[in-house]
Amino acid sequence: MDINTGLLAIGAGLAVGLAALATGWAQGRIGSAGAGALTEKPELFGSILIMLALPETLVILGFAVAAMIILLLKAGG
Amino acid sequence: MLLPMMKIQIVGSKEKLEATLRAMQRLGSVQIQDVAEHGQAQVLPKLSLDANALQRRDQINPLVARLGSFAAILPPGIKAPEHSRAYEAASLKSAEELIAEAKRVVDELGPKSQALALRGDELQAEQASLTRYQATLRKVAPLAAEFPRLAGYETAALLIERRSAAVLDLVRQKLSEIIGDNFELSARHVDEQTTAAIVVFPTEQSARVNALFGRENITPLRLPQELAGASLTDTLATMAQRLAEIPRDIARVEDDLRQLAASWGSSVTVLRAALTDRSAQMEVVGMAGGTRYTFVLVGWMPRRDLGDLKEALQRQAGPEVLVGEIKVGREEMKQVPVALANLPPVRPFEFLVALVALPRYGALDPTPLMALFMPLFFGLILGDIAHGLLLLLCAVVVLRLCRNQTYRSLAQVMVLCGFWSLLFGFLFGEFLGALGRQLFDLKPLWMERSGATIKSLFAFALALGAAHVLLGFALGIWEALRVKARKVLSERLGKFIALIAVFWLVAVVAGTLPRDLTTPGIATLIVGIALLSIPMGWLGGILGPIETLGLISNVLSYLRLAAIGLSSFYLAEVANRLYGVATNVAVGAIVAGLLHALNLAMGIVSATIQSLRLHYVEFFSNFYESGGASFRPFKQSGV
Repeated sequence: MDINTGLLAIGAGLAVGLAALATGWAQGRIGSAGAGALTEKPELFGSILIMLALPETLVILGFAVAAMIILLLKAGG
Repeated sequence: MLLPMMKIQIVGSKEKLEATLRAMQRLGSVQIQDVAEHGQAQVLPKLSLDANALQRRDQINPLVARLGSFAAILPPGIKAPEHSRAYEAASLKSAEELIAEAKRVVDELGPKSQALALRGDELQAEQASLTRYQATLRKVAPLAAEFPRLAGYETAALLIERRSAAVLDLVRQKLSEIIGDNFELSARHVDEQTTAAIVVFPTEQSARVNALFGRENITPLRLPQELAGASLTDTLATMAQRLAEIPRDIARVEDDLRQLAASWGSSVTVLRAALTDRSAQMEVVGMAGGTRYTFVLVGWMPRRDLGDLKEALQRQAGPEVLVGEIKVGREEMKQVPVALANLPPVRPFEFLVALVALPRYGALDPTPLMALFMPLFFGLILGDIAHGLLLLLCAVVVLRLCRNQTYRSLAQVMVLCGFWSLLFGFLFGEFLGALGRQLFDLKPLWMERSGATIKSLFAFALALGAAHVLLGFALGIWEALRVKARKVLSERLGKFIALIAVFWLVAVVAGTLPRDLTTPGIATLIVGIALLSIPMGWLGGILGPIETLGLISNVLSYLRLAAIGLSSFYLAEVANRLYGVATNVAVGAIVAGLLHALNLAMGIVSATIQSLRLHYVEFFSNFYESGGASFRPFKQSGV
C-alpha cells in the first residue's frame, strides 16, 4: 500500500467521520429543543421526529463520498 | 382512503330535540358544527338551555366528577356484560331521574368509600413512616441500651453525618457551659455515613438543651407522637408489632373496597356514562339553532352513514325530524373533518401517517403507499433471517395476548416488517450476520451485503429511492392537475423532468447510454429547471438550480437503506468474531448474544425511524397536503 492509498483511506474516514460529528452536533441541539417542546405539546411528536431526522442527510452524504473513495481505491487495485 | 363526507342539516319540531340527540348520540356518526359557524346566510337564532336545564347541567357535572372519583377509588374488575343493558335502560330515563339516582349513590357510597380510601392512605403512610423510624432507631438502639432510664431525666437521640462528627465535641462543651456536669453524652459510629449520639439531661433543662440544638442546627430524632416517652427498646418492639399488623389492616380495607365495588361498581359506571352523555347532549343544544317551535342542527357525517341516520331518526324521533344535505362551498372545504377508512391490512399504518398530520380533505391519502413501502424499506435495512423471525414471533405474541389497540396496530406493522426482513435475509443470505454461512452454508439468493457486490446494493438503494421520489412527484402532478393548481403543477412537473434528466446524464457519464444523448439530456434538464423556476418569479434563476441539487440529495438520502443495513451486518460480524476469539466458550456466547441482542434492538429502532423519515421528508414533500382536522362524531361515552 503506497502513501496515496493511505491518504485516500484517511480522506474516506474523514468524510464520514466529520459528517457524523456535524450530524451529531445538529441532532443534539434539535433533540434538546424538541424534548422541551414535547413536554408541553406531545402532539408535535411527528414534526419533531422529522426535524430530528433531517441532519442525518449530512452523514449519508459523507458516507456516499467515503464509499466513492473506497470504490475508487478498489478500482485502482 | 379518505371517507367521503357530507354536510347535513337536521330540522325538526323542538319537542323532538331530545329524542333526536339521543338517536344521533347512539348512532355516533355525526360531528355537530355550531350553527353560528355555518355561513352567514343560514345564521339562525341559537337555542339556549332554559333555566331548569341549566340547573340540571350544573347538577350533572359535579355528580359526574364525584362518580369519577369513586371509579378511581374502587378496584377494577367489575366489567359485567349487563353494563350495556343497564346503560340502555339508564339512557332512556329523564335527567331528573338520573340525577336523583346518582345523588342517592353518591350519598350512600361517598362516606363509606371515602372513609375506606382515607383509612387505606393512613395505613400506607403509617407503614412508610414506621419503616423509616425503625431503620433509624435500630442504629441508635445499641447506644441507648448503655443508659438506664432515670426519673427526672430526658433522653435525646442525635444522628449526625460521620464526617461532621466533630460537632459533638462542640455540643459537649456547650452543654457543660449551660448545665455543668449534670448530663451524659455518648456517641458511636453506627455505619459508614452515620454517627449516633445519645444525650441524657435533666428534664428541667429541656428547653435550654433544645435551644442549643436549634442554634447549632442539630435536629434530634423525633418519634411519632404515640411513641413519645417510651424507651427505645419498647418503641422498637411496638413498631415491629404494628408493622406486622398494618398489612393485615390494609388487606381488610382492600376487601371492604372490593365488596363496595361488587355492590356499587356497576351503578357507578352506568350512571357516570349516562350522565356524561346527557351533559354532552346539553352541550350540543347550545350549538343548535332554532325558532320558537323548531330546531336546526348542522354537522358533518360520512356519506355512507346517511341511510342509517335517516332510519334511526325515523324510528326514534318520528317523521317530524328531517335530514337534508347542505352543499359545501369551496371556501368551506378546509373545514371538512377527515376520517380515514382503509382496508384492514393497511389500517395499522394510519396512525403512522397521523403522526405528522392528517391529510386535508379531498387530498390523497398516502396510507396504502406507506403500507407498501415502509415495511419494504425496513426489511431492506434489517435484512436478516434471525432478526426477521424474532420480530415475527414478538408481533404474533403481542397479537395473541394483547387487547390494547395501539399495541395491536404496532404489532400488525411489525408482522409486515418482519416478513420483509425475513425475505431480504434470504436474499442476502444473512442469519445473525454471516453466522448462517459458517453454520449451515447459507447461500444468498441474490447478493451478499459485503465484499464485491456492495456497489450493486448501493445502486439498488438509489434506484429504489429514485422510483420512490418519482412516484411522489407523479402523485403530486396528478393532484395539481386535479385541483387545477398551475404553479404547483409547473414546480412538480419541473422537478420530475429535472430528476429524470439528472439520471439520464449520469447514465451517459457511466457509459450506459450513448454519448450522443448528452445534448438532449442537458436540454431536458434546462427545461425541467425552467419549469420549476417559473413559480419562484425572478428568484427562480438562482433557486431553480439549487432546488435541482436538493432533488439529487433527496435521492442520495436513500443510500441510508444500504448504509444502515451494512452497519448492522458488521456489528453482527463483530459479535460472531468475539465469540471466536473468546477463550471461554460460555463467556464468548454470552458476549456475542448480548451484542446480537443490542444489534437487533438498534436495528429495529433505526430501521423504523429511517423508513419513516424517508416517507415524511423525501416522499410526502412531493405530494402530501396535510392539515385535515380529525372527524370527532357526537357519540356515547360508552361503558
